[in-house]
Amino acid sequence: MSDERLVGLRVLVVEDEMLVSMLVEDMLADFGCAVVGPAPDFDAAMALANSAEIDAALLDVNVAGRVIFPVADALKARGVPFAFASGYGAAGVEGDHRDAPVLQKPFRQIDLERALTGLVSG
Amino acid sequence: MRKCARIRGSLVSSLSDTIEPDTGATERERALAAALADETRRSEVLIRIGEAIGAGRDIETIVQTVVDGGVEMTRAEFGAFFYNVVNAEGERYRLFALAGAPRSAFEHYPMPRNTAVFAPTFSGEAVIRSDDILADPRYGHNAPYHGMPEGHLPVRSFLSAPVVSRSGEVLGGLFFGHAEPGRFSAADERVVAGVAGLGAAAVEAMHRRDETLAASEAQRSVEARLAERLSFALDAGRMGSWALDVDSRDYEASELCKANYGRRPDESFGFADLVASIHESDRDRMTRAMETAIQDGSDYDVEYRVIWPDGQVRWVHARGRADAIVPGGSAKRMAGISLDITERRRAEERQQLMLNELNHRVKNTLATVQSIAFQTLRTARTPTEFRETFEARLMALSETHNLLTRENWEGAALRAVIDSEVEALGGAGRAIVQPGPEVHLTPKAAVAVGMGIHELATNAVKYGALSVARGVVTIHWQVSNGILELDWTESDGPKVEMPQRRGFGSRLLEKGLAAELGGSVELMYRAQGLTCAMRLPMAALEGRD
Repeated sequence: MSDERLVGLRVLVVEDEMLVSMLVEDMLADFGCAVVGPAPDFDAAMALANSAEIDAALLDVNVAGRVIFPVADALKARGVPFAFASGYGAAGVEGDHRDAPVLQKPFRQIDLERALTGLVSG
Repeated sequence: MRKCARIRGSLVSSLSDTIEPDTGATERERALAAALADETRRSEVLIRIGEAIGAGRDIETIVQTVVDGGVEMTRAEFGAFFYNVVNAEGERYRLFALAGAPRSAFEHYPMPRNTAVFAPTFSGEAVIRSDDILADPRYGHNAPYHGMPEGHLPVRSFLSAPVVSRSGEVLGGLFFGHAEPGRFSAADERVVAGVAGLGAAAVEAMHRRDETLAASEAQRSVEARLAERLSFALDAGRMGSWALDVDSRDYEASELCKANYGRRPDESFGFADLVASIHESDRDRMTRAMETAIQDGSDYDVEYRVIWPDGQVRWVHARGRADAIVPGGSAKRMAGISLDITERRRAEERQQLMLNELNHRVKNTLATVQSIAFQTLRTARTPTEFRETFEARLMALSETHNLLTRENWEGAALRAVIDSEVEALGGAGRAIVQPGPEVHLTPKAAVAVGMGIHELATNAVKYGALSVARGVVTIHWQVSNGILELDWTESDGPKVEMPQRRGFGSRLLEKGLAAELGGSVELMYRAQGLTCAMRLPMAALEGRD
């Protein structure tokens, strides 16, 4: 049912809200993605962004009080596509990353699917 | 009327008096020479009086000149000028000037009253001349003195004239006296009437001058009061005021205005300084607003950031209006106020921040609820089970939010989070809380721990120790080496069996809670009862790095 391009995709999830990250994990599992993380804070996210085998990433803009943009920079440098998830919506995204897709929480499973599909086929 | 007729009669008679019989050339020449000398003297006196009035001296000097002149011209021994004055409080009173006698000669007596002798003068009716006032039928009728008081100057010959303004107001009276009877002639009456006219002009001029002075004084004091009130209001409102000459760009700023730009009262602060002090990003907006106001007379109303000399950035609200000196002409000057609005701006920023934060929190909460629904739906076997489980989880989340709201969303005590879940178990006796030290949880940690405890409690009631009457749960915690060690221990319940599959609760505890707080959570399905051992770093729970 879901897009075949997502099957087996390794997706880094950065999310500090336990229940939200569980939700995203379940959604991604439904697509056949492999979840990397989830990283609940900035340091864990940065470590995974720099070294883990990943094909795409979904980044919460604000993790445990810190903005995630340096992690986005690291991913960009590696050529890993990413989307943001944020309670603030697109307004919370600044600087070089305005072009990245933004999912405003709460988002539908299909919104996540479209965003990911866009990332890997773009 | 009768008196007026009498005066007119006496004037006529005095005119005929001057036509003397021919007594020979030399005598006639002598008389003419004397008359000429008299005329010259009178002219000189009149000129002197005129000069005094013209010079605008004070009223005492002018009145003194008038009475001195009258004495000189009528060869009287004494002269007095009583004149009415109105003081600042609007009270009328009478002053006097004397000639031929020291002031002490009169000072002890009350002012002349409207007796039969004085009334025609003070009511402005007539000139009175009496060759011997003591023999005059009008003299001596009034108590208490019935004549001149004891010690009064010795007056026999008496001549008086009212001093009346052009509008008919009696300004005072001129009085002349001589110790010998029969000293004043009809000609003297005319002289005194003329001098009285000059006196009236002088007093009137002085009154007018005083009124003008008083009016301008009042105007000045109204203006001063207004200026004072304005300055007070500006000070009270912490408003600076400023004025700008449009052509020369001369700029004047009040002390408070300077203070709004971080300048001391004694520092110079011109237009160039003003523009330079404005934040680069706001400068164009400010100058455009000012040009527009100057060009079309619209209100100048702009808020901008200013950089103080010490580097501080403050917000200033400036308002003003350009003003054409010639109606319809181009604006020549501009004036207005300035106000430091830094606090208001910061409050607005704080408010915006709070709104953003609130929105963020609400969206996250909605995502949390979405997650609970998503996962409850996956494990629920029936719609009823879904509803009951979902509602219970929603209520647990809501209860934790209540705790957080009570603490302004700054966090919640671990004890309070546990107590609220224990209460929901229905009976404190079923759950024994052995509290350790107080732990202050961040909002996020409170929600996570609250949800974890809720899942344990729900499981205990459904399948665990609390599903039977004798079963007990013990909750114990302690802090050791920066780690919270919280143990949930069930006993005396039914025999525990390893669940077939991991449900939402165990996943939330062992994976979610452990991962979110960077610790470990272990569920042990022992035969005598389920235990849950949480080992969570205090730094993550209390929000310290």
